[in-house]
Amino acid sequence: MNNGDKRRVNGEAEEDDEEEEGNEDLEAWERAYADERSWEALQEDESGLLRPIDNNTLYHAQYRRRIRSLSSLATTARIQKGLIRYLCIVVDLSKAAAEMDYRPSRMVVVAKHVEAFIREFFDQNPLSQLALVTIKDGVAHCLTDLGGSPESHVKALMGKLECSGESSLQNALDLVHGYLNQIPSYGHREVLILYSALSTCDPGDIMETIQKCKKSKIRCSVIGLSAEIFICKHLCQETGGSYSVALDEGHFKELILEHAPPPPAIAEFAIANLIKMGFPQRAAESSIAICSCHKEAKVGGGYTCPRCKARVCELPMECRICGLTLISSPHLARSYHHLFPIVPFDEVSTSLLNDPHNRLPRSCFGCQQSLLNPGNKPSLRVACPKCKQHFCLDCDIYIHESLHNCPGCESFRHSKAAIASEE
Amino acid sequence: MLELKRSLDAKGHCLLEMPTGTGKTIALLSLITSYVLSKPHNPVKLLYCTRTVHEMEKTLAELKLLHTYQTTHLGDRAKILAVGLSSRKNLCVNPRVLAAENRDSVDASCRRLTASWVRAAAAANPNVPTCEFFEEYEKAGSSAVLPPGVYTLQDLRVYGKEKGWCPYFLARHMVQFANVVVYSYQYLLDPKVAGIISKEMQRESVVVFDEAHNIDNVCIEALSVSVRRQTLEGARRNLNKMRQEIEKFKATDAGRLRAEYNRLVEGLAQRGNLSISDTWLSNPALPDDILKEAVPGNIRRAEHFLHVLRRLVQYLEGRLETDNVEKEGPVAFVSSLNTYAGIDQKTLKFCYDRLHSLMLTLEITDTDEFLHVQTICDFATLVGTYTRGFSIIIEPFDERMPHIPDPVLQLSCHDASLAIKPVFDRFQSVVITSGTLSPIDLYPRLLNFHPVVSRSFKMSLTRDCICPMVLTRGSDQLPVSTKFDMRSDLGVVRNYGRLLVEMASIVPDGIVCFFVSYSYMDGIVNSWNDNGILKEIMQHKLVFIETQDVVETTLALDNYRKACDCGRGAIFFSVARGKVAEGIDFDRHYGRLVIMFGVPFQYTLSKILLARLEYLRDTFQIKEGDFLTFDALRQAAQCVGRVIRSKADYGMMIFADKRYSRHDKRSKLPGWILSHLRDAHLNLSTDMALHIAREFLRKMAQPYDKAGSSSSKTLLSQEDVEKMSDANLNEMLY
Repeated sequence: MNNGDKRRVNGEAEEDDEEEEGNEDLEAWERAYADERSWEALQEDESGLLRPIDNNTLYHAQYRRRIRSLSSLATTARIQKGLIRYLCIVVDLSKAAAEMDYRPSRMVVVAKHVEAFIREFFDQNPLSQLALVTIKDGVAHCLTDLGGSPESHVKALMGKLECSGESSLQNALDLVHGYLNQIPSYGHREVLILYSALSTCDPGDIMETIQKCKKSKIRCSVIGLSAEIFICKHLCQETGGSYSVALDEGHFKELILEHAPPPPAIAEFAIANLIKMGFPQRAAESSIAICSCHKEAKVGGGYTCPRCKARVCELPMECRICGLTLISSPHLARSYHHLFPIVPFDEVSTSLLNDPHNRLPRSCFGCQQSLLNPGNKPSLRVACPKCKQHFCLDCDIYIHESLHNCPGCESFRHSKAAIASEE
Repeated sequence: MLELKRSLDAKGHCLLEMPTGTGKTIALLSLITSYVLSKPHNPVKLLYCTRTVHEMEKTLAELKLLHTYQTTHLGDRAKILAVGLSSRKNLCVNPRVLAAENRDSVDASCRRLTASWVRAAAAANPNVPTCEFFEEYEKAGSSAVLPPGVYTLQDLRVYGKEKGWCPYFLARHMVQFANVVVYSYQYLLDPKVAGIISKEMQRESVVVFDEAHNIDNVCIEALSVSVRRQTLEGARRNLNKMRQEIEKFKATDAGRLRAEYNRLVEGLAQRGNLSISDTWLSNPALPDDILKEAVPGNIRRAEHFLHVLRRLVQYLEGRLETDNVEKEGPVAFVSSLNTYAGIDQKTLKFCYDRLHSLMLTLEITDTDEFLHVQTICDFATLVGTYTRGFSIIIEPFDERMPHIPDPVLQLSCHDASLAIKPVFDRFQSVVITSGTLSPIDLYPRLLNFHPVVSRSFKMSLTRDCICPMVLTRGSDQLPVSTKFDMRSDLGVVRNYGRLLVEMASIVPDGIVCFFVSYSYMDGIVNSWNDNGILKEIMQHKLVFIETQDVVETTLALDNYRKACDCGRGAIFFSVARGKVAEGIDFDRHYGRLVIMFGVPFQYTLSKILLARLEYLRDTFQIKEGDFLTFDALRQAAQCVGRVIRSKADYGMMIFADKRYSRHDKRSKLPGWILSHLRDAHLNLSTDMALHIAREFLRKMAQPYDKAGSSSSKTLLSQEDVEKMSDANLNEMLY
């Protein structure tokens, strides 16, 4: 398991020999309480023996499945994606959020992962904005307005972490509907509800509210923390969102991060139109100006709006003075890969691997690590269908999740371009 | 299906236990209709008996789907005629008749408009009201037939309105020609009704009893009569009225009475010349010789018959005056009746027929008013006919309320095989099927027949979507039970309460709770209210309670559904053996969890039950304890089976009583529950159950693929089936 831990080399090691994990810094039972639940990493095989789950292959298999399901959607037709998203995250802070089935409590776990999500979200969708809403005592409160700064959202969330009372789905939806209804038509309206409670105490007919959301084309997704609730399922079905229930903390993290990449645009909704944007220049280091967002004088940094010359601190955002959308070109470029994702790599079949006549590359094209197992047996590997280069599993994930470029294809194109220019 | 085909081939009876929601109905329908199609030279009729009108409609709707499939794939050859048959209340289209509130008065008002003498009167005098639908139907005569197709009750009504024909009589007429008839149990089991409707069914019929886990009780009810003081008073009034009528007739139309007398001399069997709206009865449960025998002389004359009835009523009144519980067999009863009232057995036997003959002669149409005297005659006929399997029990007051005198004389039937025997004898195959028939070997003994096939099927599921648990201890590790000595223990009450509170906090949407009886439910809810548990529950979910009032219960159910729909969450308190436990589904989010508080034993001090147990022991060698457990467990299984109606659904079941962990109780649960009941879930306390529930709900909320993965395939494609049959063939060859 934690193989990176320092191994003990004193005499006790022999006594603990039978238990593989016993000879680490902490005893197994101590570690169990310290971090994750170690027993969950064990599984019983057919003969009743306990063995650790082979996390690596399992994880990779999961990832493959996910990417395949994504690509099956993407490759059949080039799907238009909503790159400019306006997302409201609704965090349920009713008293159910105080339950301790997630350690230390649901609320803390949710907050932790929302923070990670906010950063990931802005990383993947630089053109988008989000807002935070909490439900407490049966009433929905707005924590932060729609905005593009991850820091301010995270700060606001962490400062307000206490829970009480009932939760009300309808109140939250009404509030969110009020916000999202005003945004321009090119933006995609989304709500992500993190729901701890198992019921909702509503002042009126929630079905009407759901229909209202459907009419304003707000896509509502719910992640439940305990069990499937009919009304949430109904809400998601009606508005085209996704509904999922977390099994444990790890699963919850996965589920919430699934919402980070932009969703496919709703067909009737995707009216292609031009959006006016400004690319502000970064001000000189020594210049002093009053920034329009904090209303105070600042030295250096900041950007200047190209239309009204106002100073703003961060990108992307809407100019406070003239309302122009301000972004930088790298932001645009970063959104680009969503539209043209790289194709999933094919798994190299084992029969091909075991064929001695077939000479296969011995190392990963990406990281140059050996693709052979210690026993000189070939391990699992994948190949890019375009450039036919082989990659190890880690690189596979890295390329698809973070890099969004295939090193093989890129270098191939480069060399070709170089040859062309030489001639 | 294989088993079903086998029994069809063998022309024998079969007993199939299939879990709910596995497509039981469609499997039966499709196989039997295809079987019929494959043998065109030997047309087999399918009689499908359901318990409620609602189920009848569902069955017909499924049959409709099947029929469209068959006709598109097989062409016109597959055309069949299927009709549903129900009472006038469900089929009538005449607004004037439908205005009546209950079934009996609808029947009566229909008769008032359609009886032959009324129509004769109307022909002479156009001011006498008749039913225009029936008139139209009569005018069309034998040309009034339905084109082939599947007709639900709704379709029949629409068709009837369109054509101006009475749907009820049309359906009754078409039953003789239809390939598939769907109707309720009573039409086959109740000897009084069965005669009119089912006597024309040919021997080559397949009879299916769906949801037949309570079939023995239905049989017994069909042959049991209870007489109260009100009944006797009513009967007395009826008799007076009839005497006046007779006097009137004597003055005006003595010829008619004479004609009746002559007819009775010739014997009842020749009564067949009356038109269909007037025929009342020929009784398949009665020995054949009755129908051939002439009516005994002392009741042939109308006034003599009335005297006999009067003496009978007087005698019964005398018996009801008793202060202590009495119990005797029919033979003893008849002999004492003979001594005190001078009515012999043979006379008694004919009471029922004689009464109806008289009522026809007297042209009495408002039959609902004469219910009391009919009850008395029923009683007399049954007592006179059967010497075994019955007992007469007179109770001066209700056990539970000894201060209020409420004398009841009950003629209770103990032998379920009596009512169903003619069915088994007459039809070539009878299929009895339900979700809960365990233990399957007990039914043939109770109903006294020899099935060719009796099998219990398991569900093949893509995932473990049911999670049965046996909870034996509360969170304080004290045992919980509704055993008589423990049920009022405060600790048990509190533990049950805590269980519910905890469950309400972790289970979404709907929870259904079943209690063993109304009185127990009242008691426990009261004490929960006193110690604040109810309030805690209300914080999580709304609480609805079933009452004995049908309207109130329906309202509660409606609101319960609404609360589940809008996400508030709700709990429904209900009673095992109640209406809700029998007929209402709590599928999907309407029931994520069902808790069975206690083991629903019957009220063991009831005289009727004791008498029945004694009879079962003496005649069928079934031990009292065995029968009681069997009966309780089938009720429990029936209750918990409410939550799951399809494979995509999921639900938890908690049996909260320490007695469920005992092997003799547990083993009587149906196989599809047992196969999911893991050993680890047999002896749980509240907190362990909570943990399991949490895990289960999370697991079930994950998306799943409907076809199932390769290892546990449940949805077979055509190739799979072919592969399977090949494999079977190979096995047979080698």
